[in-house]
Amino acid sequence: MERAVPLAVPLGQAEVFQALQRLHMTIFSQSVSPCGKFLAAGNNYGQIAIFSLSAALSSEAKEESKKPVVTFQAHDGPVYSMVSTDRHLLSAGDGEVKAWLWVEMLKKGCKELWCRQPPYRTSLEVPEINALLLVPKENSLILAGGDCQLHTMDLETGTFTRVLRGHTDYIHCLALRERSPEVLSGGEDGAVRLWDLRTAKEVQTIEVYKHEECSRPHNGRWIGCLATDSDWMVCGGGPALTLWHLRSSTPTTIFPMRAPQKHVTFYQDLILSAGQGRCVNQWQLSGELKAQVPGSSPGLLSLSLNQQPAAPECKVLTAAGNSCRVDVFTNLGYRAFSLSF
Amino acid sequence: MPPVLKPTTTPVGTTMSSESSKKRKPKVIRSDGAPPEGKRNRSDTEQEGKYYSEEAEMDLRDPGRDYELYKYTCQELQRLMAEIQDLKSRGGKDVAIEIEERRIQSCVHFMTLKKLNRLAHIRLKKGRDQTHEAKQKVDAYHLQLQNLLYEVMHLQKEITKCLEFKSKHEEIDLVSLEEFYEEAPPDISKAEVTMGDPHQQTLARLDWELEQRKRLAEKYCECLSNKEKILKEIEVKKEYLSSLQPRLNSIMQASLPVQEYLFMPFDQAHKQYETARHLPPPLYVLFVQATAYGQACAHMKSSSQPPRQDKTLSVAIEGSVDEAKALFKPPEDSQDDESDSDAEEEQTTKRRRPTLGVQLDDKRKEMLKRHPLSVMLDLKCKDDSVLHLTFFYLMNLNIMTVKAKVTTATELITPISAGDLLSPDSVLSCLYPGDHGKKTPNPANQYQFDKVGILTLSDYVLELGHPYLWVQKLGGLHFPKEQPQQTVIADHSLSASHMETTMKLLKTRVQSRLALHKQFASLEHGIVPVTSDCQYLFPAKVVSRLVKWVTVAHEDYMELHFTKDIVDAGLAGDTNLYYMALVERGTAKLQAAVVLNPGYSSIPPIFQLCLNWKGEKTNSNDDNIRAMESEVNVCYKELCGPWPSHQLLTNQLQRLCVLLDVYLETESHDDSVEGPKEFPQEKMCLRLFRGPSRMKPFKYNHPQGFFSHR
Repeated sequence: MERAVPLAVPLGQAEVFQALQRLHMTIFSQSVSPCGKFLAAGNNYGQIAIFSLSAALSSEAKEESKKPVVTFQAHDGPVYSMVSTDRHLLSAGDGEVKAWLWVEMLKKGCKELWCRQPPYRTSLEVPEINALLLVPKENSLILAGGDCQLHTMDLETGTFTRVLRGHTDYIHCLALRERSPEVLSGGEDGAVRLWDLRTAKEVQTIEVYKHEECSRPHNGRWIGCLATDSDWMVCGGGPALTLWHLRSSTPTTIFPMRAPQKHVTFYQDLILSAGQGRCVNQWQLSGELKAQVPGSSPGLLSLSLNQQPAAPECKVLTAAGNSCRVDVFTNLGYRAFSLSF
Repeated sequence: MPPVLKPTTTPVGTTMSSESSKKRKPKVIRSDGAPPEGKRNRSDTEQEGKYYSEEAEMDLRDPGRDYELYKYTCQELQRLMAEIQDLKSRGGKDVAIEIEERRIQSCVHFMTLKKLNRLAHIRLKKGRDQTHEAKQKVDAYHLQLQNLLYEVMHLQKEITKCLEFKSKHEEIDLVSLEEFYEEAPPDISKAEVTMGDPHQQTLARLDWELEQRKRLAEKYCECLSNKEKILKEIEVKKEYLSSLQPRLNSIMQASLPVQEYLFMPFDQAHKQYETARHLPPPLYVLFVQATAYGQACAHMKSSSQPPRQDKTLSVAIEGSVDEAKALFKPPEDSQDDESDSDAEEEQTTKRRRPTLGVQLDDKRKEMLKRHPLSVMLDLKCKDDSVLHLTFFYLMNLNIMTVKAKVTTATELITPISAGDLLSPDSVLSCLYPGDHGKKTPNPANQYQFDKVGILTLSDYVLELGHPYLWVQKLGGLHFPKEQPQQTVIADHSLSASHMETTMKLLKTRVQSRLALHKQFASLEHGIVPVTSDCQYLFPAKVVSRLVKWVTVAHEDYMELHFTKDIVDAGLAGDTNLYYMALVERGTAKLQAAVVLNPGYSSIPPIFQLCLNWKGEKTNSNDDNIRAMESEVNVCYKELCGPWPSHQLLTNQLQRLCVLLDVYLETESHDDSVEGPKEFPQEKMCLRLFRGPSRMKPFKYNHPQGFFSHR
């Protein structure tokens, strides 16, 4: 009894602090496990939380199953990007990429498998890694971010093999053209660059902001999101969300969305995009807005489609952004529930 | 009965049947009998009933023979009668003679019968007399016998009485035989005589007892006189002592200035202890513990520092001791009171039913009555400001309340927005998390309230003081939550365990409130009073200015459109204080709604921002506004400054100004708009944007003076 009160003082303080932390949490990245049953989410405090999608989607789901199975401190800074290989979860934050074994992560107190830092030129600050991209054909990983370069890392050996230079400002996003080994990158400088991985050369540059149809100077020129489907590419950010025909480098469709978009992806014959604002937008390729599905966060930063064939029952769309919640859409029509940090 | 009839004629003259004559016999017997009737009649008149001639004759005659004679006479008569009848029936001349003859014979027989009758009568009488005589004799004997029996019984009773007689000496507890023979002198014990004779022995023992008692009585007298003597001595000494008291008093009086001079208020302390005895138990516990804690603190100080006379904690008792005494003195009075009040209740219910409200009011007052004594605690802080706490005890509710007042060494200019900071109502609110002091901590009270129609204690808190939980704990009262009716007793250990923490908290609270008070005074004038030891947190040049600092009501805060997140997160309780700050730079206006937790500065003020510049920007539509909020709310620990971080609010506001500068200066220039940027970039930044959400470089790096990303 005597101890109860002296303890109670910091407790109130801790509770307030916790509430404030949750309130100011941003979830930057998500990644679905190779088995399709788990979802990893990384926030601005460097924590990674693993949610069990299968438990949350099951018929006897309780409130607790919408809480993370495990939460651990992965990085010092924010976790900007995450991808999953068939065994590992790769997470990147300020200047380093870490690999975690999916099997071990569900246990408490797991340690990273390895940690690599791309070869940076010395600088006052450590550049962040904003985007990770897996190139399955050559079993390598492409990292891009604050130092305006693309680094390729061989996953077999863990060595950095190539550096692709060209961007004049930091890189926001990456996309892979499946058929030819080419990579697209979009950055703060407002350019989308197409790289040939075989020659490690820049093949094509599209300076989006220079096209009057899509430029929006008051928002800036930055390209925040990028997705490609062989000949087609969709990108958005400061300029309006635009569908491009790559070979001819011409904008074909401009999607009428005022708010800057932070994530875009092709899904079947639709384009899904999200950004400033509560909604996940669904577009026809023709530029019609098919649907706007409201989520729970004021702004969205990432969308994740769980299309793992191993877990068809967990086929969901998840969206996360400026809150501690990950919205789960069981079909594209409406938000079923939210997972929460 | 007429003694004499005229029988002389009748027997001769009349012819009667034997039966009829027999019937008349008794009458005839006494009156006349004997054949010589004439002579006898005379003697009869002379000596009547005295003697009959037949009496003597009777003795001589045998009754048996008389009976034979009687039988024979009767037979003769029957025969004669039959002969007469015979003769008559035959009839004849000579018959008459014969009949005459026979008639004479019959007469003779009749005479005999008469004689016999008389004799029988006399005999009967004689027999009766004899029987009577004998009976009388028997009666006399019987009487005598009974007398004798009675006498015997009486004597027997006497004998038993005697046998049962108890001598008084039997009740006397005598010494045992052996002891007697051992101790008694031989002239009393006389062993040779008394050994065989128990009577003598008892007598001797009694003698010995008497002897002993006499001796003891003597001793008793002696003791009495001794006692008397001692009493007298005591009396004398008492007189001496009582004469000593005034002298001592005068010495004490004389020593007071010395005590004061030396700062050793023994006298005062004693007086307080005297008063403290009349405190109710919880206040007493508080008094003792607070005094103890105060002394302990003074000792610690004096051991580490040169002795100082200013005590940080001083305890005093206020109120009327007499009233307190009156409360406790006569327990029967209180009973009376109860019965009185009962009676009153009855009366009132009977008499003035319409004034039920008044009656309830009285009852409420009675229920909320305070103990006449209260404990004053003065907690002195380093800057000479004093927190005055007055602790009351509500007798009927068994809870303690506290009223607080803060005085400062220098007169404070009270800023408008600081109105609530030092108000007695809120200065101690939430000293421990959730302890608002508006609800009664004693669960039993609710039932009492229901009776008199008090909805909640909070309506009376202003008048009574706040029943904070920590106050109950200082008073040693612990109220369990689950068992509402458990009896609660004042416990020293509970009080002691909370004394130190609470005192420290109180001190911190007052200091933080005073610090806030000071800061508010500047803030109201648009000056952010950054102290020199916090200067390193900010760049030298800050262009944004605080222009407004006002307090807002809780309801208004709740209605602001950009504070929804805080309200939803449950961080905007009604115990908090709410303020609105306005920071300006050029055309940009940054509104900041501030939640000031009573637990400042351990719990930081929470800011919600709304920027009016090129449209309205809040955390929901601008990630950088969100980042600014997170800079002041989440990263507040960098802004605490030196312990005890009372400057936090000021630093947060200054930080907000810096953040606004950074935000405005790094805003990307719209190429399409003509003219120079409104806010040229003056801050040194490594990069303008970073990461997927395009954060601005809000972090200030001190000695180099550049801004970077967190």
